[in-house]
Amino acid sequence: MSLAAEAFVSQIAAAEPWPEKATLYQPLKEDQILLSDSASSLAVQTFLRMCGLPVQVSCCANAEYMSPSGKVPFIHVGNQVVSELGPIVQFIKAKGHSLSDGLDDVQRAEMKAYMELVNNMLLTAELYIQWCDDYTATEISRPRYSSPYSWPLNHILAYQKQWEVRRKMNAIGWSGKNLEQVYEDVSQCCQALSQRLGTQPYFFNKQPTELDALVFGHLFTILTTQLTNDELAEKVKSYTNLLSFCHRIEQTYFKEHDRESQSGSSRHSKGSLP
Amino acid sequence: MAEPMELLCWGGDWDLPSVHTDSLIVLAYAKFSGAKLAVKSIDWTWRTITASVPQLHYEASTVTEPTQILNFLRKQRFNADYELTAKQGADTMAYIALLEEKLRPALLHTFWVDADNYANLTRPWFTSHSPFPLNFFVPGRQASLALSRILLTKAESPLLNITEVEGKIYSEAKECLNLLSHRLGNFHFFFGDTPTSLDAFVFGHIAPLIKAPLPSGQLQKHLNQLDNLCQFCNTILKNYFNASAEKRTDCSPTAIHDPVDANLQKLTQLVNKESNLIEKMDDNLRSSPQHRPNSTPPS
Repeated sequence: MSLAAEAFVSQIAAAEPWPEKATLYQPLKEDQILLSDSASSLAVQTFLRMCGLPVQVSCCANAEYMSPSGKVPFIHVGNQVVSELGPIVQFIKAKGHSLSDGLDDVQRAEMKAYMELVNNMLLTAELYIQWCDDYTATEISRPRYSSPYSWPLNHILAYQKQWEVRRKMNAIGWSGKNLEQVYEDVSQCCQALSQRLGTQPYFFNKQPTELDALVFGHLFTILTTQLTNDELAEKVKSYTNLLSFCHRIEQTYFKEHDRESQSGSSRHSKGSLP
Repeated sequence: MAEPMELLCWGGDWDLPSVHTDSLIVLAYAKFSGAKLAVKSIDWTWRTITASVPQLHYEASTVTEPTQILNFLRKQRFNADYELTAKQGADTMAYIALLEEKLRPALLHTFWVDADNYANLTRPWFTSHSPFPLNFFVPGRQASLALSRILLTKAESPLLNITEVEGKIYSEAKECLNLLSHRLGNFHFFFGDTPTSLDAFVFGHIAPLIKAPLPSGQLQKHLNQLDNLCQFCNTILKNYFNASAEKRTDCSPTAIHDPVDANLQKLTQLVNKESNLIEKMDDNLRSSPQHRPNSTPPS
């Protein structure tokens, strides 16, 4: 969508209040969804809960194709469809709910920078591990991604997705890295997040912001998802303040809703935090 | 002391030690941390197409990519980040990620994809700095790499069309520059009074944008309005890259005033450089051993 059209749409969006029947679409939780998509989806759900906006989670096999940008998750609110955390945050801001209003310019710059760090390092590492590591791709990613479809569509779609992700890794220079270096990058990213968090409850002291939602989404999913080995989860676990951060958000925002919509309960995952 | 470390990078122009962002980052960091590098430019060699620049050679090992090179220099105890706190170190990583995600696509677009700039500035420069017959291939290859990087990372899958992505990447880049400007505030460098690796990264990204004579540069105009970033860039050039900063004029008035003024200033700079060269030659002649000390000096 061009910028002018986006601005127009957000003007319209601002006019309507949040409806009862807002829906969030993601791929099938039990069989299909992969680590990176699950993390993004959880981040959006956490953000919506932090804003106090109710949303129903709907799992569809073709969520990725329904999305306007090709990425999950996306939300369907009134007659608008918005995908990915960044545009969703702006959309909700146009409706009058915002978590980062209390921040000054420098803090907002920091928040954006840290969100980019998570996207740049953690998300890319997750994609790399899922699709560029042959063992994981063969054992987990390709079977799961193509599970709703029958032969030969499942093979075609799985390989197409893998090829797409590998091309992207090539373009940004990650194809030359091996798995060890990727784990090392994840570790450095977690170290940076851990140092920024320090002993505070949230990244910007008392109030949670979209950065907290994003970090929680990724870390919680990494900790509760079973991959071919546990090394990724181990890297995150070595930072105790990040673990307690995840626990705290889980307790505050998810336990009170009887754990129905908690995304950590797929067969693919180990359930709640250890 | 072992032999000095050797750095391969693209050559310099437009008052910069190098026109290539990654090479600038490494050069700036080396100056900040006091590492002595023997800089070899790959212009006019076959390395323009074979080497991935910048490349650091030391003893037997080779390191590429700015982040790896900076890590390597730190291990050799050339550390410009020594005095940063843990939180500042974390902030450094975050801001570098911000630069890579938000600013780099727009920079790539400005130099390599925008038709005006590519045809009038980037391609002629790289063609003239590559040997025959590589000058036919080098710019085209860089341009297609840049385009594919932008499309793969920023374009949403149904619309793999560069024009629709352009608006988005430029607005993100302008926002990123504004954020950097807010963060820098009135300080000389991002973390106090001494430059660190973050300063090297920011310098590497914005210096070509400030200094290159781009025919169509909306991002450049936006950057010129952010005085503190221009000032930051000029300070680094003046203090750390002395040789090319002799007669520097402030960048911001030049871009906004009419072109006649800009031409006049460029002409003045050239004349000044010429006169410097003549003076140096004169000095050399005077101090040369064949020249008898009590004879009249040449005119």
